[in-house]
This record gives sequence, structure tokens and C-alpha cells, in this order.
Amino acid sequence: MNLLTLYRIISKNKSKEERRNPSFDSNRVVKFLGYFMVFYFAALMIFLGVMFPVMFREIAPGMEPYHIMNQGFVYLLIADFLTRFLYPSLSKDTKPYLLLPVRRSQLVSAFLLRTGLQPMNLMWMCVFVPFAALTLFKFFGIGGILTYLIGIWLLIVMNSLWYQLCRMLIAESPWAYFMPVAWFALLLVAEFTLPGLPVSRFTMELGEGFIMGEVWAFAVVLAGIALLYMLSLAFHKKYLYLELARHNDTKVKHVREYRFLEKFGEVGEYLKLELKLDTRNKVPRNQLIMGLVFMIGFTAAIAYTDVYDGFMTHYICVYNFAFFGVMNLGQIMTFEGNYIDGLMTRKESVYSLICAKYYLNLIVLIIPFLMFLVPVYNGKMTLLMIVSLMIFTAGFVLWMILQLTAYNKTTVPLNVTITKNRKTNSLPQMIVLMGAFGLPLLIESGLKVIFGTNGAFIAMLLIGLAFLVAHRWWLKRIYRRFMKRRYENMEGFRACR
Amino acid sequence: MTITINNLKKCFGSKVAVEIDNYVVHSGDLLGLVGNNGAGKTTLFRCILDLLKVDEGTVMIDDFTVSETEDWKHFTGSHIDEGFLIDYLTPEEYFDFVGKFYNLTKDDVAERLAKFDRFMGGEIMGQKKYIRNFSAGNKQKIGIVSALIHHPQVVILDEPFNFLDPSSQSIIKHLLKEYNQETGATILVSSHNLNHTVDICPRIALMENGKIIRDIQNVEGSAEKELEDYFNVE
Repeated sequence: MNLLTLYRIISKNKSKEERRNPSFDSNRVVKFLGYFMVFYFAALMIFLGVMFPVMFREIAPGMEPYHIMNQGFVYLLIADFLTRFLYPSLSKDTKPYLLLPVRRSQLVSAFLLRTGLQPMNLMWMCVFVPFAALTLFKFFGIGGILTYLIGIWLLIVMNSLWYQLCRMLIAESPWAYFMPVAWFALLLVAEFTLPGLPVSRFTMELGEGFIMGEVWAFAVVLAGIALLYMLSLAFHKKYLYLELARHNDTKVKHVREYRFLEKFGEVGEYLKLELKLDTRNKVPRNQLIMGLVFMIGFTAAIAYTDVYDGFMTHYICVYNFAFFGVMNLGQIMTFEGNYIDGLMTRKESVYSLICAKYYLNLIVLIIPFLMFLVPVYNGKMTLLMIVSLMIFTAGFVLWMILQLTAYNKTTVPLNVTITKNRKTNSLPQMIVLMGAFGLPLLIESGLKVIFGTNGAFIAMLLIGLAFLVAHRWWLKRIYRRFMKRRYENMEGFRACR
Repeated sequence: MTITINNLKKCFGSKVAVEIDNYVVHSGDLLGLVGNNGAGKTTLFRCILDLLKVDEGTVMIDDFTVSETEDWKHFTGSHIDEGFLIDYLTPEEYFDFVGKFYNLTKDDVAERLAKFDRFMGGEIMGQKKYIRNFSAGNKQKIGIVSALIHHPQVVILDEPFNFLDPSSQSIIKHLLKEYNQETGATILVSSHNLNHTVDICPRIALMENGKIIRDIQNVEGSAEKELEDYFNVE
């Protein structure tokens, strides 16, 4: 079987997999919103493609707009790389094909071909087609436009392979996040520290090479693609073997018991379970690490630098208090979906579970609070503000996020591997998570108009306290709602296990 | 504890998975549930355990309607599949965790586990392994032990002989029979293994297309012939 036939078969099967996924129907609204956003951004990008020539002519009248555009390729690649995190990555589940008479390298190649040929790689054409038409046609004609667009597309294909490689390594270890950060940082450091802005000069010449149809320009990008392809192939094959061997006799060196939590009864047992869930399983562990890293990173940025001042201080403060809850509780019950039957055959165990999750998130709030004491000491924030926002998060925001207990009904594998790392948010998740970040700011702004700054913080503190005091009552109500929807949720959990 | 099924109906789309008018499993019964694939055995168990929404009818364990209260969970033990196991715990942790729900101390759990020593065959306890790293057979054993550890009055086990080696199959047969005789617990066991079912179950329900088509009293293996005829076993 040749590569193209294999590619076609796999693409067809993957499209069936998506359409027949149990969450496909329930996620229709999310999909509609997704398509709407795609059209919206496509229109926005076309607008930018039309506006850039005008803008660039004004900024640098002595240069052609395409030269300026080409100088910014690094920023394009960074933007493209980051945008990809917003979309579910392509499934690379090769296991079902492993026993077929197909070479493994060919199989992985077919999956990499999917990465290269995915429609998302054409997204930037919305900017570049109008831009090239407006700036290149008069000098280089249709040929110049075509070679330029092909060059840009190849550049994006290279970036998509780079992204897939990073995602593959990130799935194995969250420390791999530093790999793309280091690479793009290296480019930027080289650009701004070495004489003559070497990176942008190189990309300008590369772009010129595309336009002129020069072989070296395409050869450079194709070499990059080939290198990334070979690296991806090697890593993919290595991880595939690791994954297939995962059911080996794996002994644990040290079993951490968290016995000190036993005195808290059933809730204590669930606190232990929660800690074990977060430390013994790859997906929750990565999520936890990322949550803490971002939270601590942003808090440190406010505390020790002037990067985020003014409104951003406020925003980051709200964001940081809510971030861990959003990361951790936004997925509530989705991990438990793996063993929901066992939980549901024991009385009120899910109630204790919700309580444990809530208390754990309350405890974590102490971290940003302590870190924010530095900007308070430096006079960037008031103590009232951070106490108010912490209590408001502890009461109101966590109450809001915990509503998802009754609505999340998709199982997320605990140890998802490089080949299965698709994750999409449902509509309730999207609404609640947007609300978790947006509502505190809206409420704060509204209260400020009525009571002034300090009055608003005191009001938020009181609102938070009210929710905090009443937490047993509303946790019970969430549990009752969960029990009302239990059959639907259990079916959902089972369907996607 | 009596299990009473009244006008129970469960459909998946247009397919009727379970349809049982009236059926009573008496207190102290050790009932074997047999039937071909897709007969509705697991679905019936899930309905009894309130893990599925029934379309019509009710299931009662003693005086409790399972869909209306959770009180029956205190005296019911069950294992259907791996979806019951928290696989990132070690077996010891899992048994302790389960025990906590029934107010068992660590010592109580250890004492009760001692009775299952032979069944676990030295392959489960003290292995320093998470459940996910055990073989299918050992996972099955962990599930069965966790279903019995709190001395439930109602036991529901779906295909308990699956994945087990022949000696473990023999041990679990004796354990179940003994447990039934000693405690008077009501036990429901589904299986494709006719010999095992006939060996331990004085009463056998034969399911076909969601219905219990025969309720067989099995005295001294008398059901064997009837079942072999039904399943065309030569």
C-alpha cells in the first residue's frame, strides 16, 4: 500500500471517528460557535491582509510592504504556534493499524502527512493572498504571488510539524513546554542582541527568495520540514513502543499515602484520592503543574516587575486567583468518569468528592495570596484588594466553576498518551470558564460605580464570605443536581471511556 | 434482602435490552444468570445497581426503590467491570478506601482481607503496584474482593470467573457458596460458564433478548441438562 492510499484511509477513518464520537451531537453548539469564530477571524485576517500594505507604506515609505511583512516571519510563526494550542490537536492513534501489513514508518508518515496537509495550515492565506495580490502583482505578476504563497504555506507546514513534535514531547513531560519557549526566545534574543537584526534580515531575504522563486529559499524550508519530519518519525516510533509496553509490571518505588488527611473522615479520604489523582496520572499532573507554573509566573510578574501595571494588575490578580480553579475544577468529574460506576455504587461518595475538591482549591488560593503580598508591600496593590479577590474567588468563583459537576459528562483519560490527546470543551464548560474570568471583573466594575474602589472590594469580600459560609448548603445542592442528572452523565462517561 | 423487579423495561434506541414483568430474588438466594451475548445480563445488573435509567418499572432491594434512595448502597457489594476500580491506587489503598465507606478501620480491612489470601494468591497484596499495572485476572480479583470486603447482604457480580485461572475460579466458587451459606446474603452472579453456574447456584435464571425465559431450580446439578440443551452444548 502506498503512502497516499494509507493517508486517504486514515483521513477517512479519523473523520468517521470525529463524527461518531459520543460528544459530537452534544457539542454541536460548541462546533457552531467554533465555525462562527473561524469565519469571524478569517474576515478579520482578510481585512488585515488588505490593510497591511497601507499601514506598512505609512510606517516605512522607503520600503516595499512585502519586505516589512517578510521581516516579521518570526512573529508570524510564534502567533501560528500559539494559535494551535486553541484547537484540538490531530489524533495520532496509530495502534489500530499496527497489526496490518503496513510498515510502521509508513504509518507514522501518513499521520505526519495529515499534520502537514491539515486545512488549518491554510489559515494564514487569508492574510497573505490579499496582501500578495496588492503588493506583489504589479512587480512580479501571478508567478511571484504563487511562489510567495507556496513558500509561506511551506513555512507554516514546517511550523505545524514543529508544533506537533512539541505537543508529543509535552504529552510525555510538561517540561517540554520550555522547548518552544527556548527556541522562539533564542530567535528573539539573536534578533535584538546581535548587530544588524540578523533574524529579520534573513527572513526578509527568505521572503524575497520565495517571490523570486529561488531554489535556495525553498530548499531551506524543505530542509527544515525534512529535519522535523525525521525527528517526529523517530520520537513517534520510540513513544509508540513505550506506549505498547505500558502494561508491564511497573513497580512503584515509594507509595505516598498522605495519612495526615485520614483524620478528616470521608472527605479526608477524597482529599487523599485527589492528591493521588493529581500526582499519579499524567494528564492531571501536567494540568496541575501548568496551573501552578502559570499562576506563580504571572503573580511573580506582577510582584517583581512593572510588566503588568494599571488595569492589567487587576486583571492578572483576578485571573491568578481563578486560574487554578479553572484548570482543576473546569474538568471536574471528567477524570472520575473513568471509575464513576464504582463511586456511584457507594452512598453520597460524590458529595464527599466535591467537598474534597472544593477544600483543596481553597487551600491552593493561599499561594497567590502570599505571593501578592510583595506587590502589596511595593504599593502596587492594596491588602484589601487581594483579600477581597481571594475571598470572592473562594466563595463566588469556585461556586460557579463547581456547577460543572452536574454538567461535565465526558471522560478524559487519566494517562492520555502521545497518540490520544484530543480534548474539547463543552458549552457549559466554555460558559462557566469564561464567566470565571470575566464575571469578577464585571462585578468589580459595577460595584465600583456604586460604592467606589474600596467600597467595591468590601462588597466583593462580603459576597465571597457569604458564599464561603454557605458552602455546605450549595455543595449539597450541586450534589443533588448531579444526582438528578446522573443517568445522562453516567451514559456520557461510559460512552467515551 | 429481597430483590424485587417490577415491570422493568430498558431500551437502547429501538432495541429492548431488558424487559422483565415481575421477578423476585428471595433473601438468601444464590442466583445464577445465564444467557448468550446481548441477552441483557449486564444491563439488568446495571439497572439493579441504579447505574442506568430504566424506561419503565422499578427495582427494589428490600424496601428501598434503588432509583429513589441511596440507602441500599450500604449493604450492597458489586463488581461489574474495570469501571469500578480506581486504577491509580494500589490494591491496599483501594481496599482501605472502600472500607472507609463502611466504617471499617485499617485493621478491620486487614482482618477481612486475610480470608481472601488464597484467592489473591500472593499476587496482589504487597506488590507496590498500582491497580492499572495488574493483569486482567488480578484486576478481577481486586474487584471481587472489594465487593465482598464490607460483608454486604446483597452481592452482584458480573462474570466473576472471567480472566481467572482455573484454581482461582475454583476458589471463588467456594468463597461465594460459603459466604452465601454463612451470611444468608442474596447473591447474583452472571456467567457464561455453565459448569460453574450449575455447581454453585441453586437457582438459575436464563435470559434471552432481555427477558427471563426460564427460572430453573437447580438441585444437585439438575439444571445442567436443560442448560446444555438450550445452549446446544455437545
